[in-house]
Amino acid sequence: MTNREKLALLENMLELEEGELNEEIKLSELENWNSMAKLSLIVLMDDEFGKKLSGEQIRRFETIKDILNFME
Amino acid sequence: MIKSTFENIKISGITCAVPTTKEILLEKYAPLFGKETVQKFSNMTGVVSRHIALKEQTASDLAYAAAKKLVEYKNIERSSIGILIFVTQTPDYRIPSTACVLHHRLGLSKDCVAFDINLGCSGYVYGLQTILSLMHSSNIKKGLLLVGDTSNKGIAPEDKSSCMLFGDAGAATLLEKSPGSPNIHTAMRTDGNGYKAIIIPAGAYRNIDASKKMTLWGDGNFRSDYDLYMNGTDVFNFSISEAPKLINEFMIEENTSVDDYDMLILHQANEFILKQLMKRTKFPKEKTPISMDRYGNTSVTSIPLTLADKYGNHFDDGMKNILMCGFGVGLSWGVVSAKINTGDILPIIETNDYFTGGNVAHD
Repeated sequence: MTNREKLALLENMLELEEGELNEEIKLSELENWNSMAKLSLIVLMDDEFGKKLSGEQIRRFETIKDILNFME
Repeated sequence: MIKSTFENIKISGITCAVPTTKEILLEKYAPLFGKETVQKFSNMTGVVSRHIALKEQTASDLAYAAAKKLVEYKNIERSSIGILIFVTQTPDYRIPSTACVLHHRLGLSKDCVAFDINLGCSGYVYGLQTILSLMHSSNIKKGLLLVGDTSNKGIAPEDKSSCMLFGDAGAATLLEKSPGSPNIHTAMRTDGNGYKAIIIPAGAYRNIDASKKMTLWGDGNFRSDYDLYMNGTDVFNFSISEAPKLINEFMIEENTSVDDYDMLILHQANEFILKQLMKRTKFPKEKTPISMDRYGNTSVTSIPLTLADKYGNHFDDGMKNILMCGFGVGLSWGVVSAKINTGDILPIIETNDYFTGGNVAHD
């Protein structure tokens, strides 16, 4: 999966327009990065990548890039 | 999985009781957290309103009201009840078992077993398995499984992770030996590694000197050590993986599929979790009723309460094959399948009655 495709998954999950996200965006500055988004990300990782995402791992994410890297 | 099968015993009545006091989340919490925050919480969890017990009203008062109604409606001779189990995490006292208080209040005979089980979200399944096992191996003919929690009594007032989620409720389920009844099947699991995922750390004997002072916890909420802490992401991860896995494994073991069941009654944890469970077990939403919009997460009572909400008003009576799944605190989870005549499920009672004989007497 390309980075653009991964970003599209996150944009869809966060209910953002296509192209709104880039790797450098800090999660702390993203208004939609709330508890609902965190739970949705757990589901997305499991459904799309077969990966378990712990609460501790979520707390370590600082930027969108960190999330993309975890998707690998 | 720990699997059990029970022959010749049936679930022959279910009654639920909630406190009369109803609280609408927006009304109470919008001034505190802002309308948008409360709205978002409702959108995710599904909770719009819930019933809250009076200060004096305990879980056993709710279970008692349900049991009294059930015994009267079914016209059961009280001396014929050979076992009373009370599943709760909000007992009347540290000592004794609240089941003994209920045994007294219900006027049951001495030829009766009574004890508590300390479990929450999985407690209805565990309670059924335990009472069925004891009935199966004894001369007991009739049993009462009572359940109830007043979870709101153990939550810090402004803890956003849980102060808007829970509702208070209690239920009574009657079990009777009845030759030729369809089999009841259960399956259970536990993962004690997650014992801290949902915890009230103080109030018993481990943290005996814990302070009652509220402090700011890592999740951004103020609470004391005597209040409930819930690690939302850990509980979420557990719920969406282990609960559907057990349901699916159970159906394989039973050689059944979604089509064989009339309903899947899920512990009402949080609507977002329930949606994941439906997706992962392939149960359609028509077969997976939701009651937590009006009652919140009622812990051990959420399975019987959802049954009573669905069938208690008798629009759709008949013999139904019901699959039920409870999951949560412990961590602990289980499923049970039973054929229930929904004519035996009574409408939900609202009550503000409480027991006045239980006060401390220093004599």
